[in-house]
Amino acid sequence: MRKKGLRKRVVPIFLAAVLLISLPIVFGCSKKEAPAPEAVTAEPGAVSGLPAGLTLDEVVILSHLPDQQIGVEYPIGETIHLGFLCALSGPDAGWGLPGLCGNNIWIDAVNKTGGLLVGGKRYPLEIHPFDDEAIASKALQGARELVLEHDVKFISAIGGDAAKATAPFLTEHKVVYASLVPTDCDPNRPYVVAGGDITPQCNMFNALIAKMVLPSEEEMGRKLTYALTTQDCIMSRQVGAWEIGAAKAMGFKIVYEEFFGVETTDFAPIITAVMASKPDVISLCEAWPEYQTMMWEQLYLQGYKGVVVQNYADWETNLTKIPAEYAAAQFGIDSFPLMDDPWWGETSWQKSFTNVWNARYGPGASEDVKRRMTGIDWDHVIWLIPWCIGAQVAGKDTPGEWPSNDAVLAALRGLPSFPTVLGPGHMSGKEMFGIDNMIEEPVPMCMFDLGATDKRIVAHLNFEPWYENIKGIVIKEVEERGQMYYQR
Amino acid sequence: MTSQVLFQTIANAAAVSAMYAMIAVGLTLAFGVMQMANLAHGHFFMAGAYTVYALYALNRWPFWLAVSAAVGIGAVIGLAVERGIFRPLRGDVVAGFIATAGLMFVFEVFMGEVWGWGYMRPVTSPYMRAIKFMGASVSFQRVLVIPFAIACIGGLMIFMRYFRLGRALRAVAQDPEAASIQGININRMTALAMAIAGALAGIAGGLMSTIYAVTPALGGHIILPALIVVVVGGMGSVGGVTLASIILGFVNTFVTTLVDGVTALMVSVAVMALVLAIRPQGLMGHVVT
Repeated sequence: MRKKGLRKRVVPIFLAAVLLISLPIVFGCSKKEAPAPEAVTAEPGAVSGLPAGLTLDEVVILSHLPDQQIGVEYPIGETIHLGFLCALSGPDAGWGLPGLCGNNIWIDAVNKTGGLLVGGKRYPLEIHPFDDEAIASKALQGARELVLEHDVKFISAIGGDAAKATAPFLTEHKVVYASLVPTDCDPNRPYVVAGGDITPQCNMFNALIAKMVLPSEEEMGRKLTYALTTQDCIMSRQVGAWEIGAAKAMGFKIVYEEFFGVETTDFAPIITAVMASKPDVISLCEAWPEYQTMMWEQLYLQGYKGVVVQNYADWETNLTKIPAEYAAAQFGIDSFPLMDDPWWGETSWQKSFTNVWNARYGPGASEDVKRRMTGIDWDHVIWLIPWCIGAQVAGKDTPGEWPSNDAVLAALRGLPSFPTVLGPGHMSGKEMFGIDNMIEEPVPMCMFDLGATDKRIVAHLNFEPWYENIKGIVIKEVEERGQMYYQR
Repeated sequence: MTSQVLFQTIANAAAVSAMYAMIAVGLTLAFGVMQMANLAHGHFFMAGAYTVYALYALNRWPFWLAVSAAVGIGAVIGLAVERGIFRPLRGDVVAGFIATAGLMFVFEVFMGEVWGWGYMRPVTSPYMRAIKFMGASVSFQRVLVIPFAIACIGGLMIFMRYFRLGRALRAVAQDPEAASIQGININRMTALAMAIAGALAGIAGGLMSTIYAVTPALGGHIILPALIVVVVGGMGSVGGVTLASIILGFVNTFVTTLVDGVTALMVSVAVMALVLAIRPQGLMGHVVT
């Protein structure tokens, strides 16, 4: 009897304790939906001043458009649907999810003016996200849904395996697919555009910057060594080939070049193997954000001393696993600068983008994302803006109608220069990727800065003249790996 | 391979073996008692990892208190799954298999919806340093798993051998009908087995939340190597699981270091196929008649 009485008292206490512990887990996080764009009704031709709710920072952001005529009222056209087909979960999510914030900032600013002014009409924009989890089959499923159900005309994406899987369907439907990497560009994929985020140019520049921070061969008394490891996917194979080519052109001896499976969960043996080749530089190349954090942790724990480069570093997460001093000692070279980097200046497009981001997604804001702004927040809108520019230019020839994507891309190719997030750009890529579907713009290179405990821009480089001098060596290496567009 | 790389690889392999053993031992125990594979075991592990993330990383609880809470949560989940799934489906192996496969998705979606699908949830190790010996350098957090694995497996073996309840568990595993005739309450034993299995997954997940990327997909990543270890070691054999963890941990780590991770997974599966061809019951499993 006593035992039963005891149990009656103990069991509720235990269950209550479990409930208490569970509460912070269950209610620790809440989601907030982005506000839907509002269509503005208007009297044609009337001037109404600055539209309600539009901030000066948003006006600065919209200044990239050649013909938005903010405050002048035009008839409202139908809503133009856009897709966001990226990994929103899984190890690649760090390259997708934040990009939605940048696209939302742009779309909402455009919609506050009534819509994108094209051919005498304002077209409200609406974006539809789809989580492809970086799985090619899911990307194709997403492409079908976005095109057939939402009639999207433009898709923001990460690319790689997903670009390959969706290209035939999207080509058939003439939908622009904006990949992050120009290595996805191919003459057989006329609607795949890329280059907004300067990959693989920044990977190639990684070799240059690494060479600059290392002692010379004469001082070392031997050739400098370069190792590359990243997950095995189409994007990594292609970008890795260009990076190795550039490293060879810079005089490095390649001592390690291996790709690990995407299902890897333990990075200790991988880093042991890389370090066994005694490299002066270790490139994590296209390692997905989640993998990269764990690779940095192993580099630190196994005591690697040398230069570490990567395509993109997310220091907020990395610094939960390694001390800032270690990141600074290994230089932590990457690209994808932060928009709040003082390098851009106090009055700049980037500063305005930062202000709008902070007001909407920063600490205490209405849609607080509980993280710092990353180099991916601008990485998808970087192609959405030129597409809007192209639509405005092409729309002049088709008043009252939304221009075709062929006309939009042709208009962009016809522009000698247009503004991008990173500076003035132009369409290029024929020599490297067989089609002028890549934006060429200045490439900002960053290093980890101990004082800022984050990355800071150290150089803003012009790719084309540098590449012109090394392309013979680079293309030979890319060809040896079967990664030139005509070999695929 | 230089001696430094050799020692580093051995150290990596020892840590991974301990990690495999900690994850797989609960899985094999539950299988031994219920004769049903719990595919959601990796998700119990994930629940432990999220518990430590929520309590330690977010709410600043002491690390070990958070791990203790993970043990409790794992045990409660184990009990709930036994009551809700395994007890009603007892004897129907296929239904149990399908139900726990479904449970995997339920757990994954639940965690994703609550905590978000996007980023990994970083859990900073309370011991952000490495232990160095003979040129090898291994994180203290990984080394810590080794004594815990030994303590958990050793404790479980002692419990099963020398305690009345443990012996009753073994009896149920060997012959449930005969155990029932002897007065052993089968329901209580399966509940106990699942509570222990859940607690072991909880402690493993809690301890390793600083090593793995804590995401809703974590359970799915963990279950594959755990199943290989259990199959190689012998379903229901704690000793076999320990031996298989060591073999597969070393094979996987050495092949990854010398060749690559994809080949390592292929070799691990080949080892499993070889063991099944020679000893279908696993290294230390018993033939079911």
